[in-house]
Amino acid sequence: MNYNLQKKFVIFGFLAIPVGLLMLFLLYPTVKLFQFSLTDWNGISKTFNYVGFKNYIAAFQTDGVWDALRNNLLYFIMHLVFIPLEISIAVLLNNKIRASRFFRSMVFMPYILNGVAVAYIFSYLYNPINGPFNALLDLIGLEGLIQNWLSDPGVVNYSLVAVSLWRFSGFHVILFLAGLQSVPQDLYEAATIDGAGAFQKFRFITVPGISRVIEIVLFLNVRGALQVFDIPFLMTQGGPGTASTTFTVYTIQSAFKYNNYGLASSLAVILMLMIIVFTQLQGKLFGGKEDN
Amino acid sequence: MKTAPSTPVTTGYRPAVGQKWWTSLGIYGLFGLISVIVLFPILINVFTAFKTGPELMKTSPLSLPESWQFGNLKTAFETGNMLVGFRNTAVLVVVSVILNTVLGSMTAYILNRFNFKLKKAIMAMFMIAMVIPFYTTEVSRFQIIKSIGLYDTIFAPLLIYAGTDLLQIFIFLQFIEKISSQLDESAMIDGASYTTIFRKIIFPLLLPASATLAIIKAVDIMNDMYIPYLYMPSKELHTLSTALMTFVGQRSSDFGQLSAAILIVLLPTILIYLLLQKYIFAGIAEGAVKG
Repeated sequence: MNYNLQKKFVIFGFLAIPVGLLMLFLLYPTVKLFQFSLTDWNGISKTFNYVGFKNYIAAFQTDGVWDALRNNLLYFIMHLVFIPLEISIAVLLNNKIRASRFFRSMVFMPYILNGVAVAYIFSYLYNPINGPFNALLDLIGLEGLIQNWLSDPGVVNYSLVAVSLWRFSGFHVILFLAGLQSVPQDLYEAATIDGAGAFQKFRFITVPGISRVIEIVLFLNVRGALQVFDIPFLMTQGGPGTASTTFTVYTIQSAFKYNNYGLASSLAVILMLMIIVFTQLQGKLFGGKEDN
Repeated sequence: MKTAPSTPVTTGYRPAVGQKWWTSLGIYGLFGLISVIVLFPILINVFTAFKTGPELMKTSPLSLPESWQFGNLKTAFETGNMLVGFRNTAVLVVVSVILNTVLGSMTAYILNRFNFKLKKAIMAMFMIAMVIPFYTTEVSRFQIIKSIGLYDTIFAPLLIYAGTDLLQIFIFLQFIEKISSQLDESAMIDGASYTTIFRKIIFPLLLPASATLAIIKAVDIMNDMYIPYLYMPSKELHTLSTALMTFVGQRSSDFGQLSAAILIVLLPTILIYLLLQKYIFAGIAEGAVKG
């Protein structure tokens, strides 16, 4: 077989399965999502009616959706607040300490653990009756801080965000550390010779050197915070009431619990648009500083 | 300062000039605190798993077990469907990681070595896929899986996990770029087909890159709960995650047994982590810095 003909075969043959899977399990469902979002389908019956943008209007007018989004915002803000701390820890891990390998393993461990197991461990830690977390507060003399961690609507989201921080902060630290290690050492040496101080080195060598990783972490944070799901789903089912419901929990419950596929699909489309818009915004914010 | 060029995974000890003892104390204090925060939940879980029911009622939840009782672990393992969970998780991880690696490297090979009309369109499709939200897309994917008869079979998660994504393709592309195309050409002079070139030259040279990606993918699959929960509700198809969810749903009051089940589910990932962390860190560095 000559190479020209072979080329056609190999391109088709090699790409058919990966592209087929992509289309069948990702792109086609997304197209279907747009379609369902314009209907009143309940997910079971054979027929449905097109209702135009009714679901989208309903989504914007439902308080539950906005309350859920406000919960997502809390995850976003808290993870954002942690980023400077994560960078500092990565900097320390990168150069100043003995046993940094050991501490690196420690910092990253929560991310590797099974998420279901982690959620249930914390459910027990937060237990109101003879729970370990309250016992610890008691032990260190902070019994005034004892709360109903998961059943008080004013507290529950902070309790869940804490689990999210416990699980994912270490992953960010390791990403920053990887970025730091890609910054060439001789830049620092040259700066030392030129008489630069520690802060100047941090500002003019470290930060530009890891700007790409900062961008990645910000992107992951937008995506992650908008899609928080398993922690509230496993620990509180979005409760008490709807106090800890996130956008994704709300969407999934609309579809699979209340059989409102139309509304759920429109929420999924809205989520996708939010991810695109926020990512672009962040890209603009960062792209402005250094356009290369 | 003359130091050997360090590989991306190791961090050497480089004391800063003029570092004071209280600075070190502060730094070690900070890392000590971090270690406590990380270990506290895990250790409490271990302690609880080895305590008997009455002991849990009487003693502080922070105390060590009076004697290390394996009863909870035994019950959790036998009634928690854990063996089935182990088996299904292992099958899912092994088969989908192999499929994913092969498909990802095949895609990257074609995209790097050939020019053809739809190349840009295919890249664009993979880029669009990056912004499709997970979880919520299941609303419509669920219907598709059902209509093609994959619901409640192991093939549903297998095929979902096997698909390649943009990040993986990018990382493979970087490695393929470094493989000289003269290798391909000389093989072609010997009459090798493109498939042979891929099988005998490209794929073996990509294996080191695949190893780190594969480990990360394996951890993701092992820890995923939503796809198995949604698509494989049958008891025989439980994974470690969904077996644990079911077990917790059935006995939400017996914390000793719950902690034992959690511990069983944690063990494989902790083991893999301890054994393979070098590759995990290398893989993350690849993805973050060069990806």
